[in-house]
Amino acid sequence: MRFLSFIEPILARLAGFIMVLLVLSLMIFLLARVVPGDPARMALGPSATQEQVAELRLEMGLDEPILTQYVAYMGRALQGDLGRSITSGRPVLSDIADFLPATLELVLVTVFLMVIIAIPLGVLTARHRDRWIDNSGRLFSLIGVTIPSFLFAIGLQLLAANFFPDWPILGRVDYRLSPPDGPTGLLLIDSIVHGRADVFLDALQHLAFPALALAMSGIGQVTRITRSAMIENQRKDHVLTLRSFGVPDRVIVFRYLLKLSSVAPLTIMGLEFASLIGNAFVVEMVFGWGGFASYGLTAILQKDLNALMAVVLISGLFFIVANLVIDVVLSVIDPRQRRRAAA
Amino acid sequence: MALLDVRDLSISFTGYGRTAQVLHGVSFSIAKGERVSLIGETGSGKSVTSKAIMGTLPENATIEGGRIAFDGLDLLALPPAERERLKGSDMSIIMQDPLSSFNPVFRIGKHLDDILRFADRRIGRPSGAQDRKRRIFETLRRVQLADADRVFDAWPHELSGGMRQRVLIALALLHKPRLLIADEPGTALDVTTQAEILKLINGLVDEEGLSLLMITHNLGVVRQTADRVLVMNKGEIVEQGPLAEVFGAPRDAYTRALMAAVPPLYGDRVENQPVSDAAPVLAMRDVSKVYRSGGIWARGEGHRAVSGVTFDVPEGEIFGIAGESGSGKTTVARMLMGLLDVTEGEVVRAPSSPGRRLTQIVYQNPGTSLNPKRTVAQTLAVPLGHIGMDRAAASARMTELMSLVKLPESYLGKYPHELSGGQKQRVSIARALAAEPKVLILDEPTSALDVSVQKTVIDLLLHLRAELGLTYVIISHDLSLMRNFCSRIAIMLRGEIVEQGTPAEVFAAPSHAYTRALIAAIPVLTEAEEALKPTVTEEERAAFLVPTTTLAEEDA
Repeated sequence: MRFLSFIEPILARLAGFIMVLLVLSLMIFLLARVVPGDPARMALGPSATQEQVAELRLEMGLDEPILTQYVAYMGRALQGDLGRSITSGRPVLSDIADFLPATLELVLVTVFLMVIIAIPLGVLTARHRDRWIDNSGRLFSLIGVTIPSFLFAIGLQLLAANFFPDWPILGRVDYRLSPPDGPTGLLLIDSIVHGRADVFLDALQHLAFPALALAMSGIGQVTRITRSAMIENQRKDHVLTLRSFGVPDRVIVFRYLLKLSSVAPLTIMGLEFASLIGNAFVVEMVFGWGGFASYGLTAILQKDLNALMAVVLISGLFFIVANLVIDVVLSVIDPRQRRRAAA
Repeated sequence: MALLDVRDLSISFTGYGRTAQVLHGVSFSIAKGERVSLIGETGSGKSVTSKAIMGTLPENATIEGGRIAFDGLDLLALPPAERERLKGSDMSIIMQDPLSSFNPVFRIGKHLDDILRFADRRIGRPSGAQDRKRRIFETLRRVQLADADRVFDAWPHELSGGMRQRVLIALALLHKPRLLIADEPGTALDVTTQAEILKLINGLVDEEGLSLLMITHNLGVVRQTADRVLVMNKGEIVEQGPLAEVFGAPRDAYTRALMAAVPPLYGDRVENQPVSDAAPVLAMRDVSKVYRSGGIWARGEGHRAVSGVTFDVPEGEIFGIAGESGSGKTTVARMLMGLLDVTEGEVVRAPSSPGRRLTQIVYQNPGTSLNPKRTVAQTLAVPLGHIGMDRAAASARMTELMSLVKLPESYLGKYPHELSGGQKQRVSIARALAAEPKVLILDEPTSALDVSVQKTVIDLLLHLRAELGLTYVIISHDLSLMRNFCSRIAIMLRGEIVEQGTPAEVFAAPSHAYTRALIAAIPVLTEAEEALKPTVTEEERAAFLVPTTTLAEEDA
């Protein structure tokens, strides 16, 4: 019974998320086919004959009604066949398998940075409210929120170029190190699996700047939310209860207040994910990351329909999975969330 | 020798560059085993006094002078560590609001355990987890919580208000303190629950020989729990003495005004409101309301909030709907106004003037029902605009409304934060009257106000009814108020009306056991009234009241 009440709201959320994915896929499918430009012509280039183009259109099913095309596409997609990319000529799925891990690694490290920098900073600024620590922390988070991530990216590159000429600012890893293959495609994990400390450290160096550039806006947001949640909760009666009975201040702050005040920033982090994915496209371009983003950009410019669909759907999936994870974490932290969702 | 001795205590608060003196030379003492009540209204300084004793004053408070001696120790001169050591072990406090005094993301047991652990450590006797758990269970049983282990593992929101209040009392008793400070215990709870809590505190104080400082604004509570009384007004103690002396022959004008403001239950001060035989302006015929539960997998019967409610509100009467939280009285009011659809049955409304609504509402808390960013004039302009008044007519009407609710016209330019609670409630009444309704729905119109202010608002409402020929429907849990204010009352229990009649009939001979339990639980001012209250047997109580000693079975 207990377990059911825990799992049921999450299943309900999942059902909602699947609906979102379906609507998203339909919208992108329609949009990609409505904008001008013949995908078959773009794939074959200006020198192809009219007959060749017509033949490819027929092969790609582009002459059928759009809804028929959509149903056929979704039917294949559900069986794991996302079609073939017309630019790379390979199945989209294997392209994705090549490019996705790089982006995944970048995003995970970014989220890690967000949590370990923003939440302590939020607590610190709330503790020293209206003093210099608070003021500089607030200025820092304001900068994070207002300056776009590509400016951070370029700024960090300039910084490295001028002061740390040996610091890598392009790519994921030094090509001379011949990084290990598999099993996950995430360099940090693969290098540990294969016991390659040199690769691990090098990959970490490569990751630092892009992840920081990407994390800044999230750090700003989450710091602000954590700070205001801590300040608000400090005034609550339950804090006075513990204080009246002489529970030490550090226990009140770091155990009682922190857990209660992490609900709001976690929720915000879920929402931040949307802009995180968007910013990742830009940051990856600046740092020559060779991930999902550059693949997606080519797909858009080349009107590579199958690749485009896959990129959008996987971005959507990213967002959804992140929010599901946050929902689960929240329902572990806050028992009222389980109750509310089940009621 | 006195256990606690407060001498010439003066405290000021600093905020936004201004300093305000909140306590002016307060002196009193509490002997061992003595029960002392500190009475005062909002802003009188009673909570500041308790915080000064406990050492939990906020950072912007400054102790200007005076001393607090506890068992001969000068508390204000004590080093912080030694001061901390007294907390929870020698003196402890019963927190006021059981609903907000627990951190919602920690289990009840965690709160208890941490408090006990650090108190043990401070007095130099670190304890093991098993030992603490045993002592906590023992204390939970002392506050009559039957299944201690389930309470220990429960989340705060899983316990009823009454149970949480019991746990708060247990918190205060964990270390067998010598001085117990109780800050308005039970005021946030229903009257029947509050009565049980007071009984419990009294019993514990007796058994353990504790000294009690009870802080309250409710004079009825004082009569039940005090040997000696301190009356506080604007940071000064204006009168103190033994209970019988102060209540029997109050010397200070403020004390007398406070006592006069408490509505009587029985005796010659009771007022009877006239009953009317005019045609009903509002009526309910066998009305039921079921709230369906939402969600993707909606299922089950839903929650039956109101069932088979029938009554008439004749024009010109004051109809009262009384009940405790969850009794369905607010749902009934919303259906009367047409804000909620009925599930079964029918609401009959008299025709209203064209373009006007029949009913308007005055909410419980004027602090939250007025938009803080709008002046009084802007607030009043909304309903006036709705009925199509132009600027000149609206302005004339506003002047008229202000004089109706007895506020100076200049207040039209003020913002809510510039007004007192009573003045804000007057503005709410003016807003409700603006569009000339025939009926006002009053949703606990005075429960957020101090007693002395309550009385002025009630007097204003009675005056307006006579002048404008209004009909009122009042929803309240305050039976002593309704005894004097209503022409007829209906008592609601779990969505049904269990008793209906004029207050004189209902109070003289309550027929339903629940009504008897409700009336019996009201704290009154005199022995004479106490003697006239109906009695209930334990079986009857058990049948109608929500238990506060055991966990309710989980709703399926």
